[in-house]
Amino acid sequence: MKKHSFVALLLALACFAGRAEQPKLVIGAVYVGSVNDYGYNRSFHDALAQVARDLPGVKILEAENVPESATVEGIMEGMIQQGAKLIFPTSFGYAASARKVAKRHKDVAFEYAGDGDASRNFGVFFGSTQIAWYPMGVAAGRMTKTNKLGFVMGMPIGYALGNVNAFQMGARSVNKNVQTIVVVTGGWADKAKEAGAANALIDQGCDVVGMHVDSPATVIQTVEARGGMSIGFQSLEARALAPKGWLTGLGFTWTPFFTKIAQDVLNNRFRGEAVYQGLGGMVAVAPFGKAVPPDVQKLVNDAAKKVAGGFSPFVGPVKDNKGNIVLPPGASVGADQMGSLNWYVEGVVGKVR
Amino acid sequence: MTTPLVLGVLAGAVLSGTSLLYATLGETLAERSGIVNLGLEGVLLMGASVGFAVTAVTGNPWLGLAAAALTGGLANGLFGWLVVTRKANQLASGLAMMFFGFGVSALVGAPHVGAVITGLPKWRPAWLGALPWVSASTLFNYDLLTWLALPVALLVWWLLFKTRWGLGVRAVGESPAAAFASGRNPALMQFQALGLGGMLGGVAGAHLSLSLTLTWAEYMTAGRGFIAIALVIFSKWNPLRAVVGALLFGGAEALQLQLQARGSLISPFILEMMPYLLTLLVLLAWGGSRRLAAPAGLGRTFFGSD
Repeated sequence: MKKHSFVALLLALACFAGRAEQPKLVIGAVYVGSVNDYGYNRSFHDALAQVARDLPGVKILEAENVPESATVEGIMEGMIQQGAKLIFPTSFGYAASARKVAKRHKDVAFEYAGDGDASRNFGVFFGSTQIAWYPMGVAAGRMTKTNKLGFVMGMPIGYALGNVNAFQMGARSVNKNVQTIVVVTGGWADKAKEAGAANALIDQGCDVVGMHVDSPATVIQTVEARGGMSIGFQSLEARALAPKGWLTGLGFTWTPFFTKIAQDVLNNRFRGEAVYQGLGGMVAVAPFGKAVPPDVQKLVNDAAKKVAGGFSPFVGPVKDNKGNIVLPPGASVGADQMGSLNWYVEGVVGKVR
Repeated sequence: MTTPLVLGVLAGAVLSGTSLLYATLGETLAERSGIVNLGLEGVLLMGASVGFAVTAVTGNPWLGLAAAALTGGLANGLFGWLVVTRKANQLASGLAMMFFGFGVSALVGAPHVGAVITGLPKWRPAWLGALPWVSASTLFNYDLLTWLALPVALLVWWLLFKTRWGLGVRAVGESPAAAFASGRNPALMQFQALGLGGMLGGVAGAHLSLSLTLTWAEYMTAGRGFIAIALVIFSKWNPLRAVVGALLFGGAEALQLQLQARGSLISPFILEMMPYLLTLLVLLAWGGSRRLAAPAGLGRTFFGSD
């Protein structure tokens, strides 16, 4: 989630503390963007706000638009000075700084949204979205009339390829003739190109468009204006952008995990671990749009339950879109290996590099 | 129904070329008066964010557009105070203004990220919509800014080359000393050109946030301000050639996306380079010409006649 945020540190002080004069636990959260982005950053903000409502005596400190540079160290140090005992560095590029600050403050717990090793006071977590895209594909595959699905991608990294692959495999499970066309914009927030990409996909006859970019707002609104349908990503609230064409989407639900971590810190039980959860854990299916009939909703919900129960489409035999067998029978790609994917599955129209 | 490649590219070229054209026209005005503003990217960003913020608060995109134009004009006014009144170095001040623009736009836009706005209304004459393929595409379904882009280019051309004011601006751009000797006020002319140019830059940014993307995100211009500066050179400081330049660059960007959507087997990384490669090639091909039309006083500071 790289962002070109050059300036503007808004240290927003949100105080949700109850009647207690002295909060029992101060939680600090650092965001790379704005919490109003209908996307990634908002998902963390919403979850922490819920934690503060659920657990009495919890106070939240938030810093928005913090660039992935040494600046973030100072922000975290400042939060610790204000009494923070639990800190969420929520952007991938905060890793080095967060680990440094964690070494200096062994009494403060860190939960970093990314990957790498965990340690005594440094936990690592993330939502695995790839397989969760499978039920999204089921929705798109059943709703499309043209059998052409579109996908706008910021950059062709392994995680994004995994999202598209699961989307296409889900769509194919209900529609043998469906294909997914991918357009790469080359940046996570080049909004004009996202609009152009969505228009190009609709021009080619795609009638359902999904996306993996920082904020889904431009793609969803462009598709809506052209009369197409969309599948959202990153936030459960994006449906407000498309009253007609919204089908469903994936969002992050960090609340249960954050609540558990906050309780662990309160009870001095915190141990840093690496935790990755998909559907049923940190990832959830967004509410359906009006356009989706009940039988399709049921199919999607069933697929989501199957995935939450451990099903994965990334199990061989799987062919890539050039006809090569990329996963021989029995081979599989685990949620932790998605970052190294470098192929599109059969039925995806696009070239990785 | 699929849209033929040519129409898709043309439609995309117009949509993404609109903001490029306004930005290029604004910079052309400034450079014709001898001032190069490398901070154009910042002006675009401030226009985009102020326009979006005002629209989000008032619900009226026209107010947003007006605020964006005003912001652009004020930003260039500040730049003029630096380089004309205070006689600071233009290149250094321009870069500083760019970073200033990053900061201001982020600050103004932050509370409104994610706001849902009603954009500038779009309108397509019925007879154009009845043409084959057009009804299903974005062709001719334009907001006022796109419809007015060509007339504004003509207007800027007319101002620069057919009016006394334009003659004065160009005279100052060639030689402030000579213009001063002939009784003109170089500083005043430069402020006027900068102010008008800044308003066009603000409008360019507003087109991105209020029409094309209906959103505000930090650094959403993604280098379009710099492309516009290159387009000024490409168009040899001529507002009419700028139309060709903006369409060409917008078309290259659209072609890249349209080719991907058609399942082209070219690497997306190579496709991404296309618009910039094209810019380089065009600059190479045209740069060799003897008749380089750069204003002679471009980038130089006029320290008065003493």
